[in-house]
Amino acid sequence: MADRYSFSLTTFSPSGKLVQIEYALNAVNQGVTALGIKATNGIVLATEKKSSSPLIDPPSLSKISLITPDIGMVYAGMGPDYRVLVDKARKVSHTGYKRVYNEYPPTRILVQDVARVVQEATQSGGVRPYGVSLLVAGWDEGVEPEVESDDKEKPSGKTGGILKGGPSLYQVDPSGSYYPWKATAIGKHATSAKTFLEKRYTEGLELEDAIHIALLTLKETIEGEMNGDTIEIGIVGPPADHLLGYEGVEDSQGPRFRKLTKEQIEDYLTNL
Amino acid sequence: MGSPFDINGGACVAMVGKDCVAIACDLRLGMQALTVSNNFPKIFNYAPSTYLGLTGLATDVNTVSDLFRYKVNMYRLREERNIAPQTLANLVSSSLYEKRFGPFFISPVIAGINQTTGKPFICGFDSIGCIDLAKDFIVSGTASEQLFGTCEGLWEPDLSPEDLFETISQALLAAVDRDALSGWGAQVYIIEKDKVTQRLLKGRQD
Amino acid sequence: MPGFDFSNFNRNSALHARGVPLPKATSTGTTIVGCVYDNGVVIAADTRATSGPIVADKNCEKLHYIAPKIWCAGAGTAADTEFTTALISSNVELHSLSTGRDPRVITCMTMLKQHLFRYQGHIGAYLVVAGVDPTGVGLYTVHAHGSTDKLPYVTMGSGSLAAMSVFESTWQPDLDKQGAITLCAEAIKAGIFNDLGSGSNVDICVIENDKPTQLMRNYEKPNERGTKERNYRFPRGTTAWLNQKIISKEDMKKYVTIETLSGDDNLAEKMEVDS
Repeated sequence: MADRYSFSLTTFSPSGKLVQIEYALNAVNQGVTALGIKATNGIVLATEKKSSSPLIDPPSLSKISLITPDIGMVYAGMGPDYRVLVDKARKVSHTGYKRVYNEYPPTRILVQDVARVVQEATQSGGVRPYGVSLLVAGWDEGVEPEVESDDKEKPSGKTGGILKGGPSLYQVDPSGSYYPWKATAIGKHATSAKTFLEKRYTEGLELEDAIHIALLTLKETIEGEMNGDTIEIGIVGPPADHLLGYEGVEDSQGPRFRKLTKEQIEDYLTNL
Repeated sequence: MGSPFDINGGACVAMVGKDCVAIACDLRLGMQALTVSNNFPKIFNYAPSTYLGLTGLATDVNTVSDLFRYKVNMYRLREERNIAPQTLANLVSSSLYEKRFGPFFISPVIAGINQTTGKPFICGFDSIGCIDLAKDFIVSGTASEQLFGTCEGLWEPDLSPEDLFETISQALLAAVDRDALSGWGAQVYIIEKDKVTQRLLKGRQD
Repeated sequence: MPGFDFSNFNRNSALHARGVPLPKATSTGTTIVGCVYDNGVVIAADTRATSGPIVADKNCEKLHYIAPKIWCAGAGTAADTEFTTALISSNVELHSLSTGRDPRVITCMTMLKQHLFRYQGHIGAYLVVAGVDPTGVGLYTVHAHGSTDKLPYVTMGSGSLAAMSVFESTWQPDLDKQGAITLCAEAIKAGIFNDLGSGSNVDICVIENDKPTQLMRNYEKPNERGTKERNYRFPRGTTAWLNQKIISKEDMKKYVTIETLSGDDNLAEKMEVDS
């Protein structure tokens, strides 16, 4: 039987489309909205935590995940597919990078590795494409020295890269393609959220402002109530050395990615 | 038959100075007591201000230098940046340890300046990839015991590039003159943040 | 680690069969110890790495990170202790991320022993594993062949006998934190001064509940080298050289094949990205 399904289920239609990928995108577009905004000093990822029933135990639900200490991820689409991708992303960051270079991969390298996993599902035998779009947010140290302070005032138009370092935000689609963004949204209300973000986004945004804008954007699209239980926020910010768990190691730095607690989210909501 | 580390002969040394590093090697290639070439450099360049010295079995020196040329080129294409000395050190370490049960007969040495921090970096390895991080100097090759002696005696902290050149050159020349398998000229690299000086030393030809 | 590569194995065994000696790996000769106390555990190590009779590194690090609250002291083949602990640390991190729980010392010890047993002692790592987890304080030794021990105080490495003599004569139950630190430092110093494979400084790691782990690198430096009374600097121009080449920053840029394009913001928009 194994050979019967060893061909790819994703095959070209006569018009040149891969309809399986388009169906996967439809699954994404039915998913709960998630968004990401890049600031000068960090990134925010935000999403609604919608539960199908009031009987569900909310703490067991988690949609924003840590991949490496400086990289986080959120999704829109099928939850189970996302969980598989999170496991694979974490694993590949070790096997394909940390065990070779003894450091975590830069954001773009991780995004490319995850995108390869997603692409392979569109061309392999017996599998279906992943039904998720991802937003990957990360901070890179950069190999070039910090620019002089007078340059720093001017917001640069760069999307962030390995050379300069700093924050970067990527979207990965079921086809395996990936895009760098300053701010974007995926899922059910992606179009209206993106229109909102286009109006609100300015160059030289600070992380605190970005969190504020993220909440405002969510508010536009959210269906239920907004509180610490119904939304989830992850940020890439300054290194949190207190989260390292140890002291006295030279050149060690705390994780930049962390999820906001229920209380922290509610603090932001009251100031909205 | 002797150890594969001693067949071809050769020596390499790296030293830290003030905002600079130096790496030097001899130029001999021999087959036991017979000298085959006096122009066999053992230091290879993998990025601006990142150098790798390889002593040991010459066939493995060639194989490994080419292997890292390939690996570093792939790194540069993939990441659109040059490899940092520390990153190269970890790459060398994991690549050598992969061959834990069939190692290359080499003792690598890395010297470089980290372009982000501007900090000097040197390190050495055993043949299975254990990193030796030193703050002063690293030695390798058939003259390593002599080099340990000359470096312990001559090295001092915070040498300027000019003084570091004299110290590393004299440490190497003195050591290889007491090693029958090393010598026949030497090559020295003085690495500063945005300048590298490569010098060919006059050494004994016996 | 995708696994080992045996491509040179046949060549090297053929050479070995003809009487070629095996390459000498850096060994950590070593004294390593561990000791539990009322609220945590202390591990300590000397800092000498040897290659035969040569001191290869005078201040190496033998305390390895596994997880924030699990650390490992390593003796034996230096590369093996380094990579075995790094591999287990990596797997423990992935495991803890996917379970969402703090890793346990016994999990880590079991992963180490299974890995080492699989390689039948050919991976020459002798380890002291210590840490705290939700089940309490843990202190184990793991030998290269895969056997393990669980004791309130342990020593390993070539200086283990010297270090154990200190524990056996002065250890007492109900030690406090400082008592455990001092006892471990004394045990390491017994190794440093009486075992030739151990030397230089004392590194200490204290792991306790509800507090960040403290790594105290070079907690004691009983063997500092005196400063030289005079310098042996050569006058500039001492060394004769035949020719030189200066590689400037501009020349270095030639190595860089990828250049950033001008900061024109419209550039990206001109590039059509498929939708």
